[in-house]
Amino acid sequence: MRPITACLLMSVLCLGLAGCGSVEERASAARSAALGFGAALRASDEVRACEALAPATREELEQDGPCPTALAALRLDTVAGEPLATDVYGEQARVVFARDSVFLASFPEGWKVTAAGCVPRPGRPARCEVKGD
Amino acid sequence: MSGPLRFLRDNGLTLAFGTAFLLTLTGQAFAGCAELNTVLRSSGLHPVGCGEYVLTSDFLVDVTENWQSEFLQFFLFAFGTVWLVQRGSPESKEVDSIGRESDERQKTGAYATPESPRAASAGGLRQSLYSNSLGIVMCLIFLLSWLAQSVTGVVTYNEGQLRALQDPVGWSTYVLSAEFWNRTLQNWQSELLAVASMAILSVYLRQRGSPESKPVGAAHTATGVEG
Repeated sequence: MRPITACLLMSVLCLGLAGCGSVEERASAARSAALGFGAALRASDEVRACEALAPATREELEQDGPCPTALAALRLDTVAGEPLATDVYGEQARVVFARDSVFLASFPEGWKVTAAGCVPRPGRPARCEVKGD
Repeated sequence: MSGPLRFLRDNGLTLAFGTAFLLTLTGQAFAGCAELNTVLRSSGLHPVGCGEYVLTSDFLVDVTENWQSEFLQFFLFAFGTVWLVQRGSPESKEVDSIGRESDERQKTGAYATPESPRAASAGGLRQSLYSNSLGIVMCLIFLLSWLAQSVTGVVTYNEGQLRALQDPVGWSTYVLSAEFWNRTLQNWQSELLAVASMAILSVYLRQRGSPESKPVGAAHTATGVEG
């Protein structure tokens, strides 16, 4: 094999492996963010739960008053149990739990929840208890 | 003429189009980045930097869907013009030369000249591969680009699905989807139109000095004549 061919193949292999490694790391980070949101809700720490929300989702909640108050009023029962699956595509992710799913988006400070308490509807957007507009 | 100037003159076609390719690819990157950021901002999401954008599936699917169709066009053109002719077109060979042609005409085997590539005088598989190398490479680049389009396409599609709070799909579902075939066929139709147009318009129209055209004074019926 000529050196240039070997270099090209090695570059493609390295990029591929780096891509796979990166996706797994990002999936793990998305799972942690979803679990952190659930843990904050279960601990009735709505301030921390609000910090885990994406700006547009938070703004939507704040239509009904301060985010922690609005979130507490919803009495969300989401993110129960261990994650069953995590999908990461580009800057978007979904963590699936037994009863519902959490959607997340990547921001400079990490993954933030864009929608939670989501139940799928065939061919239509999921019905979510919390989401942005 | 000095060495560098001679190099520029001798390779002007490749250098000019290669440079124009890089400039337009850069332009596409900035335009695509701005378009994606408009969508992201309207959804309350964080915009991406343009350096980061060129590594996203959003950019790569747009690039590869065009590449695959261009290389498909040249592959079909290289192979199709072995068997298909257009009377009067400089893009076609003469109508009585349909097929792979004789060794004498192709300067292969015993008819290879001292200037011929070594693979032309070699026999067997080596000559056979070299005799089809242009089409094979075009076909390989087409297939790899199309595969890359499908892989980057499914990521982009699923990113949109998740943004819209919908289920992502697997690769095998995506390559049968309307989205994939719409992206693919809208590129194929334009390439096929370009080939058909070039084949027939060059029968009657001329571009003085271009090897893609017949000489201005050549008859409309003259086939396989380059200006």
